[in-house]
Amino acid sequence: MGNYENMQAVNHSESGINLKLLHAAIRFNSLILGLTGGTLFAVIVYFATHASIARWGDDSGNYLGLLAVFFPGYSVTASGAWIGAFWAFIYMGTFSFLSYRLYGRVLGTRISEVLLSTAPSDNPVLKPSVMRLHGMSLGMAIGAMAALGLFGSTAWLVLRGTAQESVHAALLSNYIPGYSVSLLGGLIGAIQLFAFVFLGCLLLAAVYNTIVKLRHQ
Amino acid sequence: MSRPVQDHEILSAVFAKMDTIALTIASGALGSLALFLATAILLLQPVPENYPVGPHLSALADYLPGYSVTWVGSIAGALYGFLIGAVAGFAAAVYWNLAHYVALGVMLISSAELAD
Repeated sequence: MGNYENMQAVNHSESGINLKLLHAAIRFNSLILGLTGGTLFAVIVYFATHASIARWGDDSGNYLGLLAVFFPGYSVTASGAWIGAFWAFIYMGTFSFLSYRLYGRVLGTRISEVLLSTAPSDNPVLKPSVMRLHGMSLGMAIGAMAALGLFGSTAWLVLRGTAQESVHAALLSNYIPGYSVSLLGGLIGAIQLFAFVFLGCLLLAAVYNTIVKLRHQ
Repeated sequence: MSRPVQDHEILSAVFAKMDTIALTIASGALGSLALFLATAILLLQPVPENYPVGPHLSALADYLPGYSVTWVGSIAGALYGFLIGAVAGFAAAVYWNLAHYVALGVMLISSAELAD
């Protein structure tokens, strides 16, 4: 048996799927999405900070300044904008990276379902297929990450001892019934947020896939 | 029973490009629904007379002229939500595709150097 056949035998699962390639694919796209999400959020925080300064001058930062609870060193100033962009990149980059990892894991061996066409291409790299979204997997992944984010940030407010003063976070109960700035409230809110995000992702995937189908078939 | 996934399908999935127009419209629709519902939910809640409705969400009017926590404002919010979502979706799709092209370029250059 040659080297290539050995590699094939080692990498393929019993069902004939090249697991090593599949995992490398998920890792690669996780990095790309992490970079995409992190960069976009960093740009948003940077420009939002400068927009706030330009609009309100010394009075700026009433709401945006609350980010300092989660972004150490952040303030609504020119230098604070860079610090905010840094933390935004870290948070959203990690969120996006982990979301795709989870998406890939949930999607797993059904990965061909996300392609518009599974017919062999001359070159899948230089002549790429058009991506479709798998709503259920997307909802599971982003929903789980959003839920974890809400519970984590609520727990942080409780741990730092400012839960009672967190009036803005408590306003979330308008949209997430049962949520409160406490560990139990955070847990209940996380479960409900998961459900909302899951539904949102189903809608996003349905609209996206419908337009892709209309445009390419 | 599902058939095994071929290697070319995995590679196709990695380098599949995002449909920019589709993601722009889909994100716009989601953004529109989100801001409309955010406003409508506040309006449907019982509030004492002469008590301000959604004073915090109303602060969005500083960035979105014409928006308010009223039924008319919710329509304006839906339009703004579509615009914001569409811009975010467009940027995400363009960046995603661009990042793949750049990564691909780096890989091709690296493999060419290795071949030399």
